[in-house]
Amino acid sequence: MLQTAPLPDTIADLLGIGGTLGAVVGGLVGAALIGTLMLTMTAVAGPWAKRKITAAFTDRYAVNRVGPAGLLIIAADAVRLLSKELIVPEGVDRPAWDIAPLLLAWSALLGFAVIPMGNGIHLADPEIGLVYVFAVASIASLALVMAGYGSNNKYSMLGGLRAVAQNLAYEIPLVLIAASVVLFSGSLQMSEIVAAQAEPLASVAGVTVPSWYAFVNPFAFALFMIANLMEVGRNPFDIPEAPTEIVAGYQTEYSSVYFVLIYLGEFIHIFLGGAIIATLFLGGPAGPVLPGILWFIAKIWAVFLFTQWARSALPRLRIDQLIQVGWKGMLVLSLANLLLTAVIVGVIA
Amino acid sequence: MSLEEPRPTDVGETADGELDYDALEALLGETAIDREEHVNAPAFVVRPDEVQEALEALREQAGFDYLSCVTAQEYADRYESIYHLKKYDDPTQEVGVVVPTPTDEPVSQTGEPVYRTADWHEREAYDLVGVEYEGHPDLRRILLPETWQGHPLGRDYDPEKPQVVPFREHANPLEEDARVETGEADTMFINVGPHHPATHGVLHVKTVLDGEQIVDVEPDIGYLHRCEEQMCQQGTYRHQIMPYPDRWDYVSAGILNEWAYARAAEDMADIDVPDYAQVIRTMSAELCRIASHMLALGTFCLDVFGDFTATFQYAFRDREVVQNILEDLTGQRLMFNYLRLGGVAWGLPEPREEFFEKTRDFLDDLPEKMKEYHNLVTSNEIFQVRCVDTGELPPAVAKQYGATGPVARGSGVDIDLRRDDPYGYYDELDWDVVTEDGCDNYSRVLVRLREVEESAKIIEQCVDLLAEWPEEERTIQSNVPRTLKPDPDTEIYRGVEAAKGELGIYMRSDGTDKPARFKIRSPCFCNLHTLREMTQGEYIPDLIASLGSLDIVLGEVDR
Repeated sequence: MLQTAPLPDTIADLLGIGGTLGAVVGGLVGAALIGTLMLTMTAVAGPWAKRKITAAFTDRYAVNRVGPAGLLIIAADAVRLLSKELIVPEGVDRPAWDIAPLLLAWSALLGFAVIPMGNGIHLADPEIGLVYVFAVASIASLALVMAGYGSNNKYSMLGGLRAVAQNLAYEIPLVLIAASVVLFSGSLQMSEIVAAQAEPLASVAGVTVPSWYAFVNPFAFALFMIANLMEVGRNPFDIPEAPTEIVAGYQTEYSSVYFVLIYLGEFIHIFLGGAIIATLFLGGPAGPVLPGILWFIAKIWAVFLFTQWARSALPRLRIDQLIQVGWKGMLVLSLANLLLTAVIVGVIA
Repeated sequence: MSLEEPRPTDVGETADGELDYDALEALLGETAIDREEHVNAPAFVVRPDEVQEALEALREQAGFDYLSCVTAQEYADRYESIYHLKKYDDPTQEVGVVVPTPTDEPVSQTGEPVYRTADWHEREAYDLVGVEYEGHPDLRRILLPETWQGHPLGRDYDPEKPQVVPFREHANPLEEDARVETGEADTMFINVGPHHPATHGVLHVKTVLDGEQIVDVEPDIGYLHRCEEQMCQQGTYRHQIMPYPDRWDYVSAGILNEWAYARAAEDMADIDVPDYAQVIRTMSAELCRIASHMLALGTFCLDVFGDFTATFQYAFRDREVVQNILEDLTGQRLMFNYLRLGGVAWGLPEPREEFFEKTRDFLDDLPEKMKEYHNLVTSNEIFQVRCVDTGELPPAVAKQYGATGPVARGSGVDIDLRRDDPYGYYDELDWDVVTEDGCDNYSRVLVRLREVEESAKIIEQCVDLLAEWPEEERTIQSNVPRTLKPDPDTEIYRGVEAAKGELGIYMRSDGTDKPARFKIRSPCFCNLHTLREMTQGEYIPDLIASLGSLDIVLGEVDR
């Protein structure tokens, strides 16, 4: 059952509509607001921030001509990308090929519905929030396979198949590590998980350290960061795309708006990964002085920065090596982590 | 006491390491029907149906394990193929095998079963000159399209004749889009290139995949063929040829290439080069080598790290410093055209101190930067997992394919013409030849990184020498006749150690001021031939990495 969450209620109150109609209108408007926030972040990240960050890592300037610090490149790129011709290659599997980009962007956006972002910005708070996030985020894999298989291109197909193999290898460790967090918090509900991290863990020299699970179980945090890199497909795990090997993997044949959608989907996925990490390990929107939503966005961007750093500095694994890392390394470690956590939680409780 | 068995002395090798060509002639016996004198070494004339016998004897008994180059050419009354043989242990020990074939039936026995590298060389000879090699496993055109009519370096070739071929007659790359049955598993054919992010130019690798694994690869080259040999044949020795070498290996190895032509032409026409000019040449050549190896490292990282790697930009940042120094020296950043027969175009830039300071600053900064590369690249665990034991090229195979340069040295083959066949000022300087025994992608990268350090050592010594060179002895050019006309039928094959390996030039004069035949032995061409051996059974990413580790430049492969 959907539980009432702050944001739709607030909107319904503001509009003065009560009852079921109020919940529906409030939910829709709230979803539009959160979607817009995420798309805006993506628009800043894709054409501008990503370039600037990569440039900083590689001793370059990147965009600096269009507008102050090149910021207007966002508008220029939007016009450029949307005005490009949509090339539909011969022999593509039409419905699947068209749906894939939509599905990719959409699956990542859906996940934000249950993420508490602080200051009452929280769309829905179901009891099974965490499971829901992983479920919708995994739909992206389906989109990648559809894109890869529907493109009628061998490089795309290799990319699509790599994506499946990679998903199988990281999804189980990812869920197992999240389960260890659930053992601590005792709930799958996102708001409960955040609330559980608000308690003080220790006090060092007058500074109270909250019981964020990154501090409580740094091992699980490190594992989750790695699994998240696999989830979002960034170095050393950008194997499904691997531009120097298989051209662009599943997105080789996409142009114009479809290309934008796929790119959008990827970035929102990175942000969703950041949001999950922030919620599970970094206390959600918690933080001193500044309002919660800003802290939350800052944490998402920190994770984004981490992925870009990895991308600039780390070599790419080979697909068979990734499978090894996933099944022989990550799975074993995350199982051990889960068992250990269960024992510790059991003893303490 | 050494536990190794003493190496059986090769036939024809005297105690002091010289070659006794009479003994070689005796070894060949009936097979050798005549003997020619080339400037670099004598050559034995062999009947076209006894080529394998002669090569086999020279290889197995006289120790010539290195087929450096195959040159074909057409005379007024005959065709001729020349096999330039050397030894990996001592490349100064050379011998030629000349195979004349009649004009009306230019068929010669193939040397491919003896030297694997002859495969591509003979295909090129067939393509451009028109000699046919009987028993060759795959005698197709290699540089020109399959549909080309005539052989451009033949005497009766009509360049005016239109080569109009309907589109449908061209090989259709999609046509082979059928599954090849290997018996065990279905395979997939895939074109890597000619438009692909990782082929370092316009290279087309026909690849057969079994899942992610490579069943077979076949490099398809020639997209960048620009008739360099023919253009050189139309230029005069003195000035008109020198600009072309810059355009073979065009990624900043220009002076190394120029030196190949300069060395061959100077030896052919007996031109001396003043010591001061030799030091400048040595210094500038090593600067080019650093620039080239930096680029090789950067692009290799692009292949292994992905296209947002920082290392690529770091390599370019450091290469830029070298380029600035070279620009100060030669006035150019890419197409230097700096060497002249008998010297260099001009001396060091004024004020000299500023130039020395700039160069020394670069050398002082280099160790720190090399440390950074080793931190970022070679000591990265993921990089090692990716590169160690992938793209393996055992030394015996490397020799069979005529591999040279960092590719051979990464397989533990200790060959470097700068030391083994000294030219310029190299034998006066203190430096080492770098080899690694890993035989894999990792070794090849390591060799290049360590060679940068060796080059820096050479440059440092050159700068010291130049700085202290007495002012009145700073001759940059010896006296060379305005028009060079070597004696008719002078033939020479000479190589230098370019950034990628042995860059050799064969020239034959006909008494005019232009060469009658100008043949380029490109190290990239031979090194690329090893790709198939390296990648069979490996994964796609390893194919890309191996290709990167070969460090080919298509301008030099295709010429």
